[in-house]
Amino acid sequence: MNERNKPFFKRYKGIFIGIIVVVVYYWALTGTNTSATAFAEGIPNMIDFVQRMFPPDFSNLGMFLLKAVETLQMAIVGSTLGALIALPLSFLAARNINRNKITYHLVRTLFDICRGINELVWGLIFVSMVGLGPFPGVLALTTHVIGALGRYFSESIETVDSEVIKAIMSTGATKIQMIMRGIIPQVKPLFINYTLYYLENNFRAATVLGLVGAGGIGMELLTSMRLFRSHEVLTILIIMVVMVAAIDRISAYIRKRVVQVENI
Amino acid sequence: MIKIKKLNHRYNNRKENAVRDVSLHIRRGENVAIIGSSGSGKSTLLKCMNKLIEPTSGNILINDEDIINANKNDVNRIRSKIGMIFQNFNLIERNTVLSNVLNGRLSYNNSLSTLFGRFSKEDHLIANENLKRVGLTKHTHEKVMNLSGGQKQRVAIARALSQQPNVILADEPVSSLDPKLMKEIMDLLGNICKEKNITLVVSLHFLDFAKKFSSRIIGMRDGKIVFDDEPAQLTEKDVVDIYGKTKDWYLYGKAGF
Repeated sequence: MNERNKPFFKRYKGIFIGIIVVVVYYWALTGTNTSATAFAEGIPNMIDFVQRMFPPDFSNLGMFLLKAVETLQMAIVGSTLGALIALPLSFLAARNINRNKITYHLVRTLFDICRGINELVWGLIFVSMVGLGPFPGVLALTTHVIGALGRYFSESIETVDSEVIKAIMSTGATKIQMIMRGIIPQVKPLFINYTLYYLENNFRAATVLGLVGAGGIGMELLTSMRLFRSHEVLTILIIMVVMVAAIDRISAYIRKRVVQVENI
Repeated sequence: MIKIKKLNHRYNNRKENAVRDVSLHIRRGENVAIIGSSGSGKSTLLKCMNKLIEPTSGNILINDEDIINANKNDVNRIRSKIGMIFQNFNLIERNTVLSNVLNGRLSYNNSLSTLFGRFSKEDHLIANENLKRVGLTKHTHEKVMNLSGGQKQRVAIARALSQQPNVILADEPVSSLDPKLMKEIMDLLGNICKEKNITLVVSLHFLDFAKKFSSRIIGMRDGKIVFDDEPAQLTEKDVVDIYGKTKDWYLYGKAGF
């Protein structure tokens, strides 16, 4: 033990951390060609691009809105389907319920794979499997949600009050009855909360799934950009922003209500 | 009735046994109090009786059936006749009183009907009847989290009664209640068990309670039974045997009265 070094490191801890931060940051900046001059040089191009977008072109508004609704439908189906599949699986991935190590690790790994691959990548995979359109998009969202919600669900199951579970078991209940009457009531608000949160997430993810041909308003965005219809691009962007903001608020409101009920 | 033979239990992370060589015979309809200070093994012994804790060795017969070596289905069947009441009530706080009491009927239903949330008319009838018996009819559809501690324990008693048990195990049922409620709940529990001829085994901190409410006292210390007789036979020396030389027992005895 070098007793002298201890206070030395402690005293100059701030400086060491500062040096490390600077080095890491410099390394990351140079690696990505991030430079202020390049950005400044690009500003006129950007102004030009934005100017060309104005005014928004609403002539195809009806079709864009239909596509926006399709995006919402994708998000709704993807989230709920994902949640429904994740629900039973999550019990297998909860250590306090499933003592079988093989199935536990199998389901955990499945969740990791589903969650670890981005929705857009899943979109690419499913487009090559089932063709273009909203269906591969729904599959992509569902797959990702199974992994994400599966993990959250199983973690909430692991935190339930085990004494309450013992009380249910002591009545002579079966394991399924214990899950239905002992665990589900305890985790229900959390599950609703997470699912709504992923509905918000999925709508945002669904807006870009069209870029890989997996349906939704992103497909229109890609088409308009490729045809240099800048005025339409702006219209689509406006629709996206308004809908994302609206859905986030509605979902946040419902989530708040659910949590409030829990806290009475 | 409960027959325990050479029961031992050791927790995984401990050196000493929590329950040591306990043999016990409790007859149908008896009202027994297990007393002892914290860590004496009374709670462990109680939880072994319905196999919530699996003992390291030994044997337990409930109504002549071996619960320790029984298979899963048989354990559930034996458990269905043993009601249990806990110190912290262990209810589903967010659910209604009725929903919690109906949980006592689970063993009379199959898993499939529970999956669809169904309980029979008879289950509802029994649940409501027991809610009436514990004086909670008015609160049937209230959420448990809005009730007081005493009311919560009444819900737990109604849940246990809905199992139509012939044994009730109560693990320090009044330890989280104030003195007035303690007496109310103990009276209620004692009276119900008497009228329905239910065997009652209660673990208690309080000596006075045990003397007053039980017809038989089992004193435990360091996992062993050091006293087992009628309350009238309990001498000052026995009390020292149970609680040790400290005057702790005095606190246990006087708290609440």
